[in-house]
Amino acid sequence: MSNLAREFGFMLRSKSALLALALLAICASAAVALGLASVARDRATIDRMLAGQVAEERALAAFVEDAGSGAYYGFQPTWDAPSDLAFAALGSRDIAPALLRVRALALEAQIYENEAANPELSLPGRFDLAFVVIYLAPLVLIALLHDLWSGEREAGRYHALAALPGANRRLWSARVLVRLGGVLAALLLPFAVGALIAGTAPLRALGFAGLIVLVALLWTAIILLVARRGARSAVHAASLAAIWFALTLVAPAGANLAINAAVPVPDGAALARENREYVHAGWDRPKDGTMRDFLKLYPLLAPGAAIPPTFSWKWYFAFQHLGDLHVAEQSAAYRDGIARRAELARTAGWLLPPAGLAQAMTALARTDVAAQLDYQMRIRAYHQRLREFYYDYLFSEKPFGPDDLRRVPRFDPAIGS
Amino acid sequence: MNQALTIAGAELRLMLRSRLALVGIATLLLLSAIAAVTSATQMAAAAKMRAEAQAATDAQFKAQPDRHPHRMVHYGTYALRPVGPLAAFDPGVDAFTGTLLFLEGHRQNSATFGAARESSDLVRFGQLTPAFVLQTLAPLLLVFLGFASIARERERGSLRALAAYGAGAWSILGGKALALGVAAVLAMAPAFAALAWAAVQQPGEAGIAALTALSYSGYLLVWVLVITAVSALAASAQGALVTLIAAWAIVVVLVPRAAAAWVGVAEPLPSRVDTEFAIAADLRRIGDSHNPNDPHFAAFKAKLLKRYGVTRVEDLPFNYRGVLAQEGERLTSQLFKDYAARAAAIQNAQTDTLTALGIISPALAVRRASMTGAATDLGTHLAFLAAAEAYRYDMVQKLNGLQASAVASADDAARSKDPIADRRTRISADFWKTIPDFDFSAPSPAERAGAMVMPLAVLGLWVALAIGLFAFARRRLERAGL
Repeated sequence: MSNLAREFGFMLRSKSALLALALLAICASAAVALGLASVARDRATIDRMLAGQVAEERALAAFVEDAGSGAYYGFQPTWDAPSDLAFAALGSRDIAPALLRVRALALEAQIYENEAANPELSLPGRFDLAFVVIYLAPLVLIALLHDLWSGEREAGRYHALAALPGANRRLWSARVLVRLGGVLAALLLPFAVGALIAGTAPLRALGFAGLIVLVALLWTAIILLVARRGARSAVHAASLAAIWFALTLVAPAGANLAINAAVPVPDGAALARENREYVHAGWDRPKDGTMRDFLKLYPLLAPGAAIPPTFSWKWYFAFQHLGDLHVAEQSAAYRDGIARRAELARTAGWLLPPAGLAQAMTALARTDVAAQLDYQMRIRAYHQRLREFYYDYLFSEKPFGPDDLRRVPRFDPAIGS
Repeated sequence: MNQALTIAGAELRLMLRSRLALVGIATLLLLSAIAAVTSATQMAAAAKMRAEAQAATDAQFKAQPDRHPHRMVHYGTYALRPVGPLAAFDPGVDAFTGTLLFLEGHRQNSATFGAARESSDLVRFGQLTPAFVLQTLAPLLLVFLGFASIARERERGSLRALAAYGAGAWSILGGKALALGVAAVLAMAPAFAALAWAAVQQPGEAGIAALTALSYSGYLLVWVLVITAVSALAASAQGALVTLIAAWAIVVVLVPRAAAAWVGVAEPLPSRVDTEFAIAADLRRIGDSHNPNDPHFAAFKAKLLKRYGVTRVEDLPFNYRGVLAQEGERLTSQLFKDYAARAAAIQNAQTDTLTALGIISPALAVRRASMTGAATDLGTHLAFLAAAEAYRYDMVQKLNGLQASAVASADDAARSKDPIADRRTRISADFWKTIPDFDFSAPSPAERAGAMVMPLAVLGLWVALAIGLFAFARRRLERAGL
């Protein structure tokens, strides 16, 4: 214990060590604060949408005349609320929409909409606790530990110290523990405060804290391996910075290039056009064929499927859905391509621990690509419920009035994932 | 001067003999070359894909059969943002914005399908492009090459020997900086070659390419001067290295991210849904086409009837429904324009704040200059959105105009009840061929050069600061007996 206390005292007297730790703690606190603010903004945006929906439905109630017009004009909100850990790893929530209003028309023309966002703010990457842990903490550890042995050698004390009985345990281990502890404290204390404010589930918070510790241990191990070699402190620092740089900056960017080249994703523009072509050609295709194709999917609707030679909402919504079906394969291939890229990136994470651990953090916080794709699946599931709700009215020719708007199924984040 | 050259020569010979330095330079050159080639192929592929998609969508529009013009309003068309002229050098925000915009009546859609949303989570680690190499990797290489240049001489005591040979502080600092500058030029070579190649292929961009090269040269000059000065000021080589790596991490890695996060929270942008709701509420106030008793549309109708001296819309010399659609589109589009202008103002203010924060980090300033030059910045994307909206409005109003002039009023009124009348409302497919194709060109080189002035000025300020630090280091060396 006295060894730890002594090393702690040494660390407190080192201005540069304190400065590095203070900077890390400030960055971690700022990242947690900005992360909480960003999550609060996301929540407020969702709340505003749900509050605003009331006025929209009131306006719709004033002119809705039948189920068709209700389905056509009735946009319904869907949302992807940030998890209780999102503040610590914001992930892709800035480039993927957290809210989308959909209606019973062809979904493929709606689901790829983007949020209004300034792309220049997304370009440099997120500033969150995950960033501080993955990028900055290793640099601080390198600054604190690279000259563990070489520093003493250069000061001419090494042989005297190494000759002390139990030097390994009493001296070097204590020194490493104290410095590692300082770094962990600078990261974990702000995280703990953030988790308390965000009300993070204890197990998930523990998992994230475990990832933080893992990052710190990994880098401590790398640093000690290098610092063990007998070169000068400056050489150690340069080699370690180069390793950090290769593992954290260059290799993940290179892996991204390689993965995107290896896994092609179908052209989104072609998918969108193909969907539009099929939907709009629906106006000119023989109506019987459209209804026949549609009833193959919904045989139970057959009894009410008779349509007049003029415009009918039944027919209109039938060809809308057939347009989605027409590109279902392309759409699945598009989704699978992205999922495959994400999967390969996770595999690459085993070779590139910083990238692997960063992905583990966003996965735990449900802010990664997988979470985005999952939200899209929930939108799809909801869109189906919404369509089928209206099909029921349209094909049974039940009257639909303002009061029926209240019966429209609502998005439930728990369904469809 | 001669002494400085001698010292620079000696330092360069030392670099050539050092394995670390050679490995560093070789790695950077290799990365640069990989970045230049992959970025060029990727961007060329993207440019081709988008041009083909634009041609395909234009051709599809023209190939539509005889139809009621309002059906074409809903059929709509797509606008694809072309790849910026120097995007292969600096793709900027290209991956982080949608590239495909669906243009239809009544609605303003967002740009969909961006590369970042189609990539794995690794995309947030940064993209390996020539610009990334110069902004991020090159300064760190210079740190590795230069941190010890003077500190090493001091530790070995050879600084005094140099002085004994009559070398002044100025020649020592100047010589060491010159040697590092040569390394910087070498480090920039592949990226600059990519830039020059782009300029050769598009001679109109040569001036912009030169300005871009100038901004990166200024940026790396700042690093060369600061690294040499810190090496002279630090107590030890180790101290110099740790200080410089910390400075690099703060300037290149930390500040750009932290600044963006802070700006996003400090100057928030309304969400798409916020804007949609606000527009819907405004429309309900100023003119609700769903409301049969809406005062705005009632007054519009009364005015038309009076102007033509008739009492019923059926007696107007044109199809009232087409004119009504034009009026409705006029109202909504004005709101789209107003709200888009507000959103653009907020985003531009955010970006201006980032440019101003270039005072803390020259990496922000050089990134801004580079993206602006390459026409891959926010400004170009906003210009694309505005051009697409203007095109959408023209297209929709032309189609509404066709409804007013080429579709008989009686047929239009009866078409939902009478299949024969419905058939008569379909006008000739030849009309679709009269709608011009969408075409967007990036802001002109002169406009972009104008927008580069501010970040270049910030970089100039940084060069001045670096020279100040350099002069300070020289004074310290002189006072220490050199």
